[in-house]
Amino acid sequence: MEKLKLIDRVNAINWNRVTDDKDLEVWNRLTSNFWLPEKVPLSNDVQSWGRLTPAERQLTMRVFTGLTLLDTIQGTVGAVSLIPDALTPHEEAVYTNIAFMESVHARSYSSIFSTLASTREIDEAFSWSEQNEALQRKASIVLEYYHGDDPLKRKVASTLLESFLFYSGFYLPMHFSSRAQLTNTADLVRLIIRDEAVHGYYIGYKFQRGLERVDQAKRDEIKDYAFTLLYEMYENEMEYTADLYDGVGLTEDVRKFLHYNANKAMMNLGYEGLFPSDVTDVNPAILSALSPNADENHDFFSGSGSSYVIGKAVQTEDEDWEF
Amino acid sequence: MTLTSDPTTAGAAPETVPVPAAPSYHTLNAMLNLYDAEGRIQLDADREAARQYFLQHVNPRTRRFSDLRERLDHLVDNGYYEREVLDRYRYEFVRDLTDRAHAAGFRFPTFLGAFKYYTSYALKSFDGTEYLERFEDRVVMTALTLATGDEALATGIVDEMVAGRFQPATPTFLNAGKASRGELVSCFLLRIEDDMESIGRSINSALQLSKRGGGVALLLSNIREYGAPIKRIENQSSGVIPVMKLLEDSFSYANQLGARQGAGAVYLSAHHPDILRFLDTKRENADEKIRIKTLSLGVVVPDITFELAKNNEPMHLFSPYDVERVYGVPYGDVAVSEKYREMVADDRIRKTQINAREFFQTLAELQFESGYPYVVFEDTVNRANPIAGRINMSNLCSEILQVNTPSTLAEDLSYAEVGKDISCNLGSLNIALAMDGGDLGHTVETAVRALTAVSVASDIRSVPSIAHGNARSHAIGLGQMNLHGYLARERVHYGSAEGIDFTDIYFYTVLYHALRASNLLAIETGERFEGFEHSTYASGRFFDQYTDAVWAPKTERVAELFANAGIAVPDQEDWRRLRASVVEHGIFNQNLQAVPPTGSISYINNSTSSIHPIASKIEIRKEGKLGRVYYPAPFMTNDNLEYYADAYEIGPDKIIDTYAAATRHVDQGLSLTLFFKDTATTRDINRAQISAWRKGIKTIYYVRIRQMALEGTEVQGCVSCML
Repeated sequence: MEKLKLIDRVNAINWNRVTDDKDLEVWNRLTSNFWLPEKVPLSNDVQSWGRLTPAERQLTMRVFTGLTLLDTIQGTVGAVSLIPDALTPHEEAVYTNIAFMESVHARSYSSIFSTLASTREIDEAFSWSEQNEALQRKASIVLEYYHGDDPLKRKVASTLLESFLFYSGFYLPMHFSSRAQLTNTADLVRLIIRDEAVHGYYIGYKFQRGLERVDQAKRDEIKDYAFTLLYEMYENEMEYTADLYDGVGLTEDVRKFLHYNANKAMMNLGYEGLFPSDVTDVNPAILSALSPNADENHDFFSGSGSSYVIGKAVQTEDEDWEF
Repeated sequence: MTLTSDPTTAGAAPETVPVPAAPSYHTLNAMLNLYDAEGRIQLDADREAARQYFLQHVNPRTRRFSDLRERLDHLVDNGYYEREVLDRYRYEFVRDLTDRAHAAGFRFPTFLGAFKYYTSYALKSFDGTEYLERFEDRVVMTALTLATGDEALATGIVDEMVAGRFQPATPTFLNAGKASRGELVSCFLLRIEDDMESIGRSINSALQLSKRGGGVALLLSNIREYGAPIKRIENQSSGVIPVMKLLEDSFSYANQLGARQGAGAVYLSAHHPDILRFLDTKRENADEKIRIKTLSLGVVVPDITFELAKNNEPMHLFSPYDVERVYGVPYGDVAVSEKYREMVADDRIRKTQINAREFFQTLAELQFESGYPYVVFEDTVNRANPIAGRINMSNLCSEILQVNTPSTLAEDLSYAEVGKDISCNLGSLNIALAMDGGDLGHTVETAVRALTAVSVASDIRSVPSIAHGNARSHAIGLGQMNLHGYLARERVHYGSAEGIDFTDIYFYTVLYHALRASNLLAIETGERFEGFEHSTYASGRFFDQYTDAVWAPKTERVAELFANAGIAVPDQEDWRRLRASVVEHGIFNQNLQAVPPTGSISYINNSTSSIHPIASKIEIRKEGKLGRVYYPAPFMTNDNLEYYADAYEIGPDKIIDTYAAATRHVDQGLSLTLFFKDTATTRDINRAQISAWRKGIKTIYYVRIRQMALEGTEVQGCVSCML
């Protein structure tokens, strides 16, 4: 394996000279969205976990090991590999944040496992994920492009991962939570979705800025490449989805969801969607659950929800205390 | 198959369940949150969801009986209904009352209303496969239970409930008349004294009360601080945090037959030395050992804290251990504002200093991060309290404000002296329907009688201080909901001059009738609450503000709303008569009103929560038993959307003004949530707190922040995602 290239020269980052406002906007959003899995009272789901069928439990474990693998890739290789290509020092800083949060996500799935499942179930699921061909292929496709030498192609792969490949897994907790199952787990996953939505959007945005700097021939090549890669991943994702969801009869519903997110991924890259609307009509219960806004209303008997954010601290002044 | 889950996934192996031909009710319900092709909210989809819920789920699972007698015999003989409840009535009366309830034409207007009712309230067979009650049956059983043989009262309660004007709180509506049930009372408040017996007993009480379905709040202010001496040996105490940990675990352990986890709150004085450690338990990056996840926190803030912040003076924190030794009373019973300078000067009291403004900023930071703590403005609360004694805490929803007294425990945890702890049972009026009903006096009186019946029937023997307090006070909490729904339907903007004027006069009128009803109860029973003679009701001073000034609508629109509804606004002469009767006969209930946040019952009742503005035109509701479901604001159509500005758009100022208008006429508190957009800073929250305190608000419940999706990452066409 080729050694990852590091940037050669570092200047002290000056956040008072931001050349792309998007860097600051996204940095602020990501930092105010900071969270750790300990925030979510996952143990409240223990009873609900016990009420799932064995098939549903196995599916859940497999879905989450798959997601763990992707987050591990994105945290240890993906986001880091984007740093040398960064156009501004602030962009580098955003990638380090993204890389760290991806590791938090990978850590979160382990929190879910250790709260809900036994060691045997956990080991079984990890062993399944190591043996599932579609999942391993998904990982190797992405890794291959991360190790390639084209910055734009790396961003395409990264955006597709953030905005498309995660969603075959995200479907399940959203499905469960609309049926009052594993609702705290769903809260945690919604926090992850909230992050990934920003990651995919930002990397796609940076991809588009990069595209502006190359000539038309290169643009055509990249576009061609993006659709080819999407298609390759799509084929593989269809197989992976069937492996996971055939047993519970949800494969078709998940596929629509994948179409929908594939279109979103392409839009993040600045391209038109690939799939027509008649195959992207996602179940409204899933689509509504996906909203990354911090806007749900919950009662104190049911956990913390996925709402609160770290606020901006500003001192009060004398005028505030005039009474 | 269990009834709490969706038929497409629950119980049976999923692969054997075919996808239903009609869209599932969850799918239809979720369409509410997505605009249609013309950009309109799909309210019809939700109505269809409610219909499909009955067709697909409820009707096939509802047990049919050939007649009422067979039904009642079955339910009593099989241990579902309490026989004693029905034995107090003639069968013919029960039959006519049931017919009357079913003839009223009740329908659930929303999916969530029906879903919530059948998921959480309806009586189910023990194996969980069948529903044994429709909404009307639950209403009848509640009325029969509360009226204890009084046919006229039972009829009155059925009429008010089935019309939607009055809705008892969850514990009452859920449990009344069922043979296996929790308590009818919602809310408990317990003191903890500064000794191991009291701490141990309070954990037992938390378990006992959670098991029975109540939310429990505990006062920590009396407990000695971190590093305080034990048996005069210095640096021994570990302060309030470990007690909080014990309580949190106790609440998690005690769930009602798995229905829901226990829920608890703890209150601490702002001037307790552990205050910053207490707040830091809610930090996002707090260490696991001290992190508090599910326990709610509240801070009791006296006026002096605001003055210190105003003058930018240091804020002294006083050792509860020393204060109790100097003053001979627990720290929580000391009026900090009054004694502040004295305690600062007293060398016997150990103290530490923090910066007052930084304290308020820390409060705001934590509220941003976690929504907590609740805030009780201690001196405001005590100034407005008509009852003798001190109020030093509130409850899980920050609307209960009553006096308490300490208990003394023996070594074996038995009570050497039983003090008074607090319980309160709640119920709320639907403001829109109560106005439509045209006889607000009768509605209030029936509600007061129903709530009083719960208090009289309650005897929480597992916690003697609660039983003792209840028997002597008969405190109740009449609440209100659907203010925003009503105003919007009448095309009045929330927080406008008319909106505030209405709130003022409505609560003024409710207070009059609540006192009138409690006075009637005192006359009928010959009883008054203990300590009445020391209250400002007995001296008549309470009534001065109503007999000395004229209260009437200030705006034409509000005068018109009351006139059109046929509801008379009490005048000074009414108040003089009422004062004379109260001074002579007393009132039965120590406390009468408290305005809770009304979550679940407002969905069943098709109301907006409490007197808050709506959180969203389409509210996303998430609960352990429901999952994620969507709820449209009551009376909303695609043509009156302008009156449904949400709480974040309306902002804290109008909410505070609306609550201030209501607070004047409410003897206890009102759960007031402040809503901010994520562009707000801690300074904005501090300003709102200062403004709330200045305008006479008694408590602040949650602070909620709405963060919208970063532009470019939102779900297209989603109603709750639009600004």
